Amino acid sequence: MKEYDSKNSNSMLDDEDELTVKQLIDDLEKLDQWNPVSTPNLQWFQQNVELEKKRIRKKQWKDLLTFMSVAVFVLSVGIAVVYRQPILILYFQLVGIILLPLALNKTRKKVSNE
Amino acid sequence: MDEKDLIRKAKKGDTLALSKLLQQNYSFLVKYLMKVTLHPQIAEDLTQETMMKCIEKIQLYNGESKFSSWLITIATNLFIDQQRRKKREKNWLEQEQALRKMKWNVANMNEEWTDVLDVLAQINEEIRMPIVLKHYYGYSYEEIGKMMGIAEGTVKSRVSNGLKNVRKELAELEGV
Repeated sequence: MKEYDSKNSNSMLDDEDELTVKQLIDDLEKLDQWNPVSTPNLQWFQQNVELEKKRIRKKQWKDLLTFMSVAVFVLSVGIAVVYRQPILILYFQLVGIILLPLALNKTRKKVSNE
Repeated sequence: MDEKDLIRKAKKGDTLALSKLLQQNYSFLVKYLMKVTLHPQIAEDLTQETMMKCIEKIQLYNGESKFSSWLITIATNLFIDQQRRKKREKNWLEQEQALRKMKWNVANMNEEWTDVLDVLAQINEEIRMPIVLKHYYGYSYEEIGKMMGIAEGTVKSRVSNGLKNVRKELAELEGV
């Protein structure tokens, strides 16, 4: 499927180049004939679009939740520092130490499953 | 319903419109990828990946270029990224196997594989791509530069040197 006039696009070529280009076009067209493409039906596309949209939505929610968790954590540390309550920082660090390996482990498992 | 309507609806979230758009462009995309990869399996896989990317990024399509050109841009970049990720040697072996299979299929159809396709398969895909885009699809150097994320001058020199290379290799094969 040529979208443009190949003559026009080849106007700057010398004779030898033009011959090569012609051969190239002819043989690439043969490649199309040798490898016919069967387009799946509309239902197949709809199914895939739905699935992909669902995956994107899931990913967006996950990203949003991660972002909010980090934001809440940073904010909490900030508040603890401002109100000079070191015990709160210790609590947050403790929670972080427990949650971080769990979160990382979950991610690793997911990657290895793929 | 024409393409513009489908694009407008797809951007609003209409699944059916987006599915129709993808269906209409499916074979065009597979054929393009078949020419630049010379590997039917990779062409099919990249087409599906391109479709997924399109579903995700449809909001970013601004209508400056044709929809099919936008898909070509996505596919081209996915292919370039994939090539960078793969190791050269493994890539070469895979390509050789794919070519052998294609030649085998062509022979089974009582057709003859061509020297041009052999030469095209030998040259680097970063040169093959601009040659196909320029001389088969007729895109301008500027458009190809945008599609591949390289300068217009680089496209020009790749096409010109690539074509000279193809001619030289062909002459050698034909024993001229």
